[in-house]
Amino acid sequence: MSFNLDLVVSSFPLLLVGAGVTIKITAMSVALGVLIGLFVGIARISTFKPIRFLAAVYVDFIRGTPLLVQIFLVYFALPALTGQRIDPYVAAIGACSVNSGAYVAEIFRAGIQSINAGQMEAARSLGMTWTQAMRYIIVPQAFKRVIPPLGNEFIALLKDSSLVSVIGFEELTRRGQLIIAKTYSSLEIWLSVALIYLVMTLTISRFVAYLEKRFKTDDRH
Amino acid sequence: MIDIKGLKKSFGENVVLKGVDLSIEEREVVVIIGPSGSGKSTLLRCMNYLEEPTAGTVTVDGILLDGEANINKVREEVGMVFQRFNLFPHMTVLQNIMLAPQKVRHVSRDEAERTAKELLARVGLADKADVYPEQLSGGQQQRVAIARALAMHPKVMLFDEPTSALDPEMVGEVLDVMRSLAEEGMTMVIVTHEMGFAREVGDRLLFVDDGRIIEEGVPREVFEHPQEERTRIFLSKVL
Repeated sequence: MSFNLDLVVSSFPLLLVGAGVTIKITAMSVALGVLIGLFVGIARISTFKPIRFLAAVYVDFIRGTPLLVQIFLVYFALPALTGQRIDPYVAAIGACSVNSGAYVAEIFRAGIQSINAGQMEAARSLGMTWTQAMRYIIVPQAFKRVIPPLGNEFIALLKDSSLVSVIGFEELTRRGQLIIAKTYSSLEIWLSVALIYLVMTLTISRFVAYLEKRFKTDDRH
Repeated sequence: MIDIKGLKKSFGENVVLKGVDLSIEEREVVVIIGPSGSGKSTLLRCMNYLEEPTAGTVTVDGILLDGEANINKVREEVGMVFQRFNLFPHMTVLQNIMLAPQKVRHVSRDEAERTAKELLARVGLADKADVYPEQLSGGQQQRVAIARALAMHPKVMLFDEPTSALDPEMVGEVLDVMRSLAEEGMTMVIVTHEMGFAREVGDRLLFVDDGRIIEEGVPREVFEHPQEERTRIFLSKVL
C-alpha cells in the first residue's frame, strides 16, 4: 500500500472548491435555521395553544426523522407532489435549514426559559408588550447563553451537509467521491476530505469560544 | 387612584387572596405588612396585573384592568420596584432607564437621556450612568430600579419588599429615596418588613394575614393599639 502525496496535492484545489460550497450551504442554512429557530422557539412557549402545538409537531417531526430522509423528501417526494423539479441547491439549503431550525428552536426555547422570570415581569411592569419584552430584554440575554450550544449545532450542520452529496450536489464530500471515481485512490482523498472538514469545524469552535468569552463580560447573571 | 373590589386569587388549589376590598387615594402612602405567605405580595402584584385575579376587579386611575390593551395602558402609569431589583443585566444603567420611555411612551432619545440623568442624580447615582448593573451594590441597583420606574412618570409606585434582599447597611439609602418620593406626594403602595419606615412614612397601614386585610389604620395607632389578636401576635414578633 503506497500513499500518493502528489495526488493529494493535485486534487486539493478541487476539494477546496467543494469546501467552499460546503461553507456556503452551511452558512446559508445556519442563517435561515437561526431565523426559523428563533420564531419556532418562541412559538414553543407561546401562551396560544395552536401555535405551541404546531411548533411542537414541527420539532418532533424533524428530530424524529433522519436528515437523509428529509433531503429525499424535499428533492424527490416534493416534486412528485407538485410536478415541479427542484434545484439541488434550493433543495440542499431548504432541507438543511428546516432541519437545523428545529434543533435551534429547542436551543432558543431552553435559552429563553433560563432567563429569570423577573426580567419579563420588570419589562411588562414598565408597560412593554410581550413582544417588546422578548425583543429588547429576553432574547438578547438568551442569545448570549445559547452561543455554545448554537456553536455545536453549526458544527453538526457543517458535517451533516455532506449528506446533500446524495442528490448530486457538489460540495466537499461529493467532490471527493468524484475524484475517487476517476483515480480509485480512496485513502488519499478521504483523508484529505476528513482533514478539510476538521479544519473547518475547529475554526468554528475556536470562533465560538472567542464569542463566548467576549460576551461574558457584561452578563454574569 | 386604585380601587379593588372582591379580589380573590388562587394558584391551583392554593387560595392566596380570599376577598380583598381596598381603595387607595391619590398621594396616599399605603404600607402593607403581614407574615410571609399572607398574600401581601400577591395583592400588590394584582394592582398592575402581574397576577391575574381569579375573581373581583382592580381599577387603576379609572381604568378597569381586564384586557391586554388596558393592562399595558395602566402599567405605563404604575411603576413597580421588585425585591430582586430585576435590572436588565445586558444594558448599562442609563440604557435600563431610557428603554421603556422610548419604546412605550415614544419619547425622543435625547429627552429620555435627559430624564434618565436627572433621575440618576436624584437617587444619588449620577456618576454610574455608564456602568452595568452587576458592577453596583444591591442598594445602588435598587435605586437604579426606582429611577427606571420613575422614568415613565408613573402616577403610582408599587414596592414589593424593596429592601428585603439588601445588606443591612444599604437599606437606609433605598428608604431615603422612597421617603423623598413620599414627601413629593407620590402615591405609593409598599409591601415591607421595615416597621420603623412604615410608621414614619405611611399614611395608612394594612395588616394582611391569610389572604385578607385583618386590620388597617394610621400606622402609629395600629402599632400601639392593635385591635385584632392576630395583628397583636404578629407585631409582638417583629417589633
